[in-house]
Amino acid sequence: MGNMTSSIHTSLISLETIKTRAPSLRGFLALLVVLIAAIPLLFVFFSSGQLSLQQWVGLWSNRLPELLWNTLSLSVLVAIGSMVLGVSAAWWITRRDFPGRRIAVWLMVLPLTIPTYVFAHIYTIMLDEDGWLGQLWLALFPATAIPEIFNIFGVTLILVLAGFSYVFLLVRDALSRSQQDIEEAARIHGATPWQVFWRVNLPMLRPAIAAGIALVVLHVLSDFGAVSMLRFQTFTLSIYLQMSSRFDYQAAAGLSLVLVLLSLTFMVLERFFRNRQRYYGSGQSKKITAQKATPLETVIIWFWLGLIATFAFLLPLAWMLSWSWQAWQQNLIDSEFWGYVGNSLTVSALAASLTVIAALPVALYHARERSKMSQGFLYLSSMGFVLPGPVIALGILSFVIATMPAIYGGMTVLALAMMVRFLPLSIQAQESVVQQLTPSIEQAARSLGANWYENLRRVIFPILKGGMATAWILVFIDTLKELPATLLLRPTGFDTLPVRIWIEASEEMLELAAPASLMLVVGTLPVLWFLMREKSDK
Amino acid sequence: MKSRITLFVLFSLFINLYAQAESLVVYSGRKDKFIKPVVAEFTKETGIKVLLHSGSSTSLLNKLNLEGSNSTADLFISNDAGNLEKGKEMKLFLPVSDDLVKGIPQTLRASDNSWIGLSARARVLVKNTDDKSAEFVKSVFDLADPRLKGKLAITHSGNESYIAGVTVYMESAGKEKTREWLAGMKNNVNGKVFNKHSKIVSAVAKGKRSVGLVNHYYIYRHLQKYPDAPIKIELPDQGKNDIGVAWNVAGIAITKHTKNKKAAERFIGFLTSEKGQSLFAKVNREYPAREGVAAAAEVPKAGSYKVAPVAMPVLGQQRNATLDLIEAVGMP
Repeated sequence: MGNMTSSIHTSLISLETIKTRAPSLRGFLALLVVLIAAIPLLFVFFSSGQLSLQQWVGLWSNRLPELLWNTLSLSVLVAIGSMVLGVSAAWWITRRDFPGRRIAVWLMVLPLTIPTYVFAHIYTIMLDEDGWLGQLWLALFPATAIPEIFNIFGVTLILVLAGFSYVFLLVRDALSRSQQDIEEAARIHGATPWQVFWRVNLPMLRPAIAAGIALVVLHVLSDFGAVSMLRFQTFTLSIYLQMSSRFDYQAAAGLSLVLVLLSLTFMVLERFFRNRQRYYGSGQSKKITAQKATPLETVIIWFWLGLIATFAFLLPLAWMLSWSWQAWQQNLIDSEFWGYVGNSLTVSALAASLTVIAALPVALYHARERSKMSQGFLYLSSMGFVLPGPVIALGILSFVIATMPAIYGGMTVLALAMMVRFLPLSIQAQESVVQQLTPSIEQAARSLGANWYENLRRVIFPILKGGMATAWILVFIDTLKELPATLLLRPTGFDTLPVRIWIEASEEMLELAAPASLMLVVGTLPVLWFLMREKSDK
Repeated sequence: MKSRITLFVLFSLFINLYAQAESLVVYSGRKDKFIKPVVAEFTKETGIKVLLHSGSSTSLLNKLNLEGSNSTADLFISNDAGNLEKGKEMKLFLPVSDDLVKGIPQTLRASDNSWIGLSARARVLVKNTDDKSAEFVKSVFDLADPRLKGKLAITHSGNESYIAGVTVYMESAGKEKTREWLAGMKNNVNGKVFNKHSKIVSAVAKGKRSVGLVNHYYIYRHLQKYPDAPIKIELPDQGKNDIGVAWNVAGIAITKHTKNKKAAERFIGFLTSEKGQSLFAKVNREYPAREGVAAAAEVPKAGSYKVAPVAMPVLGQQRNATLDLIEAVGMP
């Protein structure tokens, strides 16, 4: 704890030397949050610092080239796939009015309720020779081999299906807020709709697309579920194997350090491209309205959205339902099962609330300051996302045991780890709204005599409300699905749905893994409903 | 919203208190389905409550190691002797007295009794009875024969049982021979390995592969579901100069920082008793570690065949060397 306080002091001093005025409350709170978020990173530094030069050379020459190549190519493929699915779906849904539009929105968001390890598990089974897709394939293309899923394309498929909704949500949000006058101006000057899309909409959407892809890629870098089920050697899997089969924390930390550097590079690049242009619309311009779709367009739209929905949600759902039915018939769904549901909901709600509150000062601080320091805060608070779940859990566990063993073993520690893990998700979601909070709005409020509290309550909060709700939901959903850190940090005997799915899936108890997966979907529904209602209220 | 948050906070505090209620805590790396009936019987007999904390053996061992004296765990159960020996090396366990575990053969427990084997499983061959192309396979080393190209089913090399098996072969036949063997198998599977043992059995049953290397009970599990499946078990390496079948054990240890040593010892006493042994091993058709307790009837009798003479602790001591070998060959 002594180290911790002294580092707070040092940071405060440097904060004061950079800014001439005293640190704001917002800055101080942001710093506090960032320090907590940096705990796993400290653990990584500490452990990898114990590696000898020889061990580093060994890691470098044996493992790194392959891991780098695998991880990078996977990220690129998943980013492209998610962008294609996410942007196309968001575009059709916001710009065309077609029958079943509201259902379509739901279908594009629902895949978020299915964790990558469930996706991987289900697709592995469905692509077996006696699985649904395997049989379909053999019926359509007899005498050919069923496509193999245990390779980079299989992993890409799973991660795109599980992640494109993030791009969809953020792009849709931006599209429904985008203002019509610029597009109209372009059209008046003779641009075709296609040209408008490429030269007006796409550049304007860049922040949202960048944020969406950042989310997706960060999920890829830290994904444990799909890569471990499909045994595709990325950094995360390799780090996990170093820890779990060799108990080699130092090598694991060394690899984590490389992963952190990789992710940081990526984030700097992403920020760089996102910051090059910012757009502030004027207050009076009218919001875009969707055009009525022609019958042909309706068919095309539904074919495309239907295709996405089938693979990303409907097929997995049907699989879960069919096996859950078997479980129901065998009376396997008992009070214990409902206990897991309760545990999952509790920890997710707790973690989501904690994370949203913690993310606010960091997002606001950055939106206001836009300094190197606030940028640094953002990077540090993203550590939870770029470090693999098992490493975060290890870091938090070691820290809590060393500094405050009294709270160890309870829900607090688990919620704290979830906060560290999903803080960047929450900051990202809130920040894209915070960017809407143009300096002029706040200045206007100030000039009308509002003090900081009134400003917060009557100006900032109402604008941020949507972003906070989105953030809460994203964190809730991710915590609900979180596996590796929960496995290590949950209180004794405290099983959540992912833990059960993981246990049952490794025992190949499909009848038991399916209802738990189904419950994840069902448990997320009210929250998604809330999210959708928020959006349509606007 | 605010009141909801308060509610959640209160609820979580409640959960905290609930989790701290006193009972025997077992970190269990064994499948829930197999350990639960045993635990229920123990509670019924002794009145001592048992809280199961399930997970993978290795991650639970990690947890135990990191938690140190803050751990709530009283006992640790693993499906793999390698993990248990690793825990002993990391000084996480409390040795028990010889008296308590004298029914268990010495080769199936740690030299200082810091962990005790409870049930054993055999690495065997599963063959398709209609397919004669793997008939010549009598030893696991025959699996490297190029005649089996595209016909061999093995798990990926991250599997605990697979690793333990390779350790046994390495110890019995030497590093060089094992390296060649792995390279031959790598060639035969051509990148297509299985992620579950049960899938190996079902691939062999469907004739997609001729022969597979599995733990014995997977074969019986498949036969229970599909009694007419054209598969059979074959015990490898039974010739005069052969190494014998590789065994591995599931076992238990008392944690160093337990505050319920008496109750934990009772639990071990129960598990090593005839009744406990029969319960623990039979649910999964494994061999009870205690001599004189019979395994399930369909399983080849222990003692009726040759077992590789590798003491179980070696599975932990040589694990890193085995992983190095597997990685050097580049097994998928």
